[in-house]
Amino acid sequence: MTHAPLPRALLALTVILTLALGACGGSKSSSGGGEGDTPAAAGNQKKVLNLVRGSAHKNLDPVKQFDQASADIVSNLYDTVLSYHYLKRPYQLVPSLAENMPTASEDGLTYTFRLRKDVKFVDDECFPGGKGRTLNADDVIYSIKRFADANLNAQSYMLMAGFVEGMDAFREETKKAGKDADYGTLEISGLQKVDDFTFTMKLTQPNPLALLPLAASQLSIVPREAVEHYKADFERKPVGSGPFKVQKLSRRGVIILERNPGYHGVYPSEGDPGDKEAGLLASAGQKLPLVDEVHLPLIEEAQPRMLKFKRGQIDLLGFDKNNFRQMAFKDDKGFHLKPEWADKFEILSGESLSTEYFVYNMDDPLVGKNKALRQAIAYALDIPGFIKDMRNGRGVKMHTLVPLPIAGSERELKDLQRYDRDLAKAKEKLVEAGFPGGKGLPPLTVEYRNSSTDTRQEFEYHRAKLAEVGITLKANFQTFSAFLQRVDSGNFQMTISGWAADYPDAENFYQLTYGPNKRPGPNASGYQNPEYDKLYERSRFMPNGPERYAIFKQMADILYEDVPVFVTWTYIPVSMRQKWVKNRKLNSMITGHRFIDIDVAAKTKGVQ
Amino acid sequence: MLAYTIRRLLYMFPVLLGVAALVFSLFNTVGEDPVRVALGQHATPESIADLEAQWGLDQPLYKQFLDFLVQIATFDYGRSYDTGEKLSDMFAAGAPVSLSLTLPPFVIGLILNVSLGLLIAYYRGSWLDRFSTALFIGAMSISYLAYIIGFQYVLAYRMDWFPISGYEPGIEGLQFLLLPWIIYLVVSVGPDVRMYRTVFLDETGADYVRTARAKGVSENRMLFGHVLKNAMIPIVTYSMVAVPFLILGAFLMERFFSLPGIGDLMITAINNGDFPVLKGLTMLIAMGYSLIVLLTDIVYAWVDPRVSLS
Repeated sequence: MTHAPLPRALLALTVILTLALGACGGSKSSSGGGEGDTPAAAGNQKKVLNLVRGSAHKNLDPVKQFDQASADIVSNLYDTVLSYHYLKRPYQLVPSLAENMPTASEDGLTYTFRLRKDVKFVDDECFPGGKGRTLNADDVIYSIKRFADANLNAQSYMLMAGFVEGMDAFREETKKAGKDADYGTLEISGLQKVDDFTFTMKLTQPNPLALLPLAASQLSIVPREAVEHYKADFERKPVGSGPFKVQKLSRRGVIILERNPGYHGVYPSEGDPGDKEAGLLASAGQKLPLVDEVHLPLIEEAQPRMLKFKRGQIDLLGFDKNNFRQMAFKDDKGFHLKPEWADKFEILSGESLSTEYFVYNMDDPLVGKNKALRQAIAYALDIPGFIKDMRNGRGVKMHTLVPLPIAGSERELKDLQRYDRDLAKAKEKLVEAGFPGGKGLPPLTVEYRNSSTDTRQEFEYHRAKLAEVGITLKANFQTFSAFLQRVDSGNFQMTISGWAADYPDAENFYQLTYGPNKRPGPNASGYQNPEYDKLYERSRFMPNGPERYAIFKQMADILYEDVPVFVTWTYIPVSMRQKWVKNRKLNSMITGHRFIDIDVAAKTKGVQ
Repeated sequence: MLAYTIRRLLYMFPVLLGVAALVFSLFNTVGEDPVRVALGQHATPESIADLEAQWGLDQPLYKQFLDFLVQIATFDYGRSYDTGEKLSDMFAAGAPVSLSLTLPPFVIGLILNVSLGLLIAYYRGSWLDRFSTALFIGAMSISYLAYIIGFQYVLAYRMDWFPISGYEPGIEGLQFLLLPWIIYLVVSVGPDVRMYRTVFLDETGADYVRTARAKGVSENRMLFGHVLKNAMIPIVTYSMVAVPFLILGAFLMERFFSLPGIGDLMITAINNGDFPVLKGLTMLIAMGYSLIVLLTDIVYAWVDPRVSLS
């Protein structure tokens, strides 16, 4: 086939389009770009902390938020009566809106709180003249009533359920009254205003844990004016007294928080041993927050997050599995960056307040009624290998339910019995269970809450390890809600669960096997042991110390013997920071943006 | 034509009713339970009942379906279960982002790919045809995700020609869109040009082209005045059906470039069982699709006098 010369019009059109595209692709863009990731520009001395959100927040009304993404923002915009010390471990309560820690009455039932008189809500149109007013005891009582209101808080009320006089009755009343519940007529008898800056909280029984919820972000203090002014939109119009206020709020775009100049907090002057040497006390006594703005773009994928971090457009970033493998490693001394990154960034790790464990359904006719079988599985699983091979070594094998930074964890318990991988013992236990070499044992089914690649790999790992002793493991991958329905109704054999601390006390973890908490409560295994329950009840309201730890040891021994759950491991969060970021220490109970400082000169130089 | 249009508009009602029934059935049979997802594990029966009542999920199914039909009729889909935001606000925020991501490369791609298709068909059997066929088939064999990851890494991170990710409304935001546009064009060029080439080849081999050439019609006039015009029906069909989906954006692109569009919103809603968002988006797309199909038929008559609307 021969061709006539290329038609000129067609040639021209193609050339124009190609050039136009070339111009688009070839133009050099700014390296940063966007409000969310602007590096501290030379000449602009504003201290900007560039972070990233991996998921979008859902609700910024303190009593309605339940997800971590929302809590991170709420705790920067609102303040709580009490808070946690940024540096000290085990975690310690410290006053925040309260002037000092509350005083307890002689019978231990009534706490008296005195509030600071210098705290103001940020300016907002909901206030007369748009000027924020002073926060007072009425605001605290109003906020606690909102927390207890059944029409508002469906998710976190359990933090205070049962221990403040009249609070449960108030909740019932709000349920009856519906959305029109009038806080003017409905009272919580245990909460009393003494004067504008003093209130009391009366308990139903002495309880050293009663103060912990007052540091939770769900109990942030809100002004009534904002709730009534914004109505349903209050979920997206936060008006608080926290370290930051909103400059820009785009749920799926960039959030910019700017310093609240009226915030009262100061950087702590004391920390743990080693904190001073690590430079964590360099800002001691300085007014918080230490940065002018925090930029929080939403970046859901790991690759762009890491590329932006490498460019200096993000100041702090946690590792995902693949990036950890490419950039870091673990040895006996801890976590390290590979040489090509070690001079650019610093690696950080800490201990989380979470635990993972296998749950056996104690009502299941096979695994629930055969202790030796449960023990055989515990001996056959290879948890250190799992942590090393499947989690980049970012975890620690655990032997009790209580995470390591919490008082009463296995660090305080002597001569603890433990399940370490021992195939000979696993085989012995299988014989004892009536299934020598796995003969006659039907496949066991483990329930999973999703079917992601990660989950499937996790299953394959455990399946292979159990197969070595003749146990066949099957998986049931399902949607999250189907999983919840199955587990909460007891229609399962085994599953894998996790628990992150609502508050940093061992009680929050030992309740996971407490009889009355049977599913759909936190006791997913449905374990019932009166002896264990009595020990739990005895330890529950005791102060930490040898006596309490001795009870924990007895409880741990019972769980070792009965194995209703097999505690596997706790996650170690590993992250990187740019060298210009100061004062970073992992704190699982509070969001630490207010404590972070930026060396602007170093940042400008580093980004260039 | 007016009677035809009115009749076709009336046909839309049973179609939309069917879509509504299908969406509602799927949500209530295979979808996530939004209350369970919201409350997480260990939710008490009381808290489940409270939230179901709040969201109207304690009502009989027929009542829920009737409410859904009222929402469709009034274009008021209420608020997202997940975030409490008004659906209208969510769409208004997300749709411009998705359209700014997809519409410009769609238009540019249409012109570019039709031109390339015409060019390659014209040179059928030449080195250009063979080379482009190999190139486009190779390009089509690479996954969309690989283009995104590769281009983001090389062009944005390594070469620093574009921002890695981000979004701003207005002209400032153009810098964030250029790289996604290029990827969109690169991904679409293979299948589109191959398709248009085939269409044009059918036409260039037709008798009327041979007759035109024999009569001495210039190549320009033959290609643009005859071949292109006669190929418009499949081109219009192929491109118009893509239009309603432009508003959905491109899910992967939105996630990797942090563009807060509708695609990402849709996927999140599916994962969380956020039925109001799913209802709203599905019905919006169904209506858009029905209207576009009608518009396509009208355009047929405009581009090809042989087609009559009756």
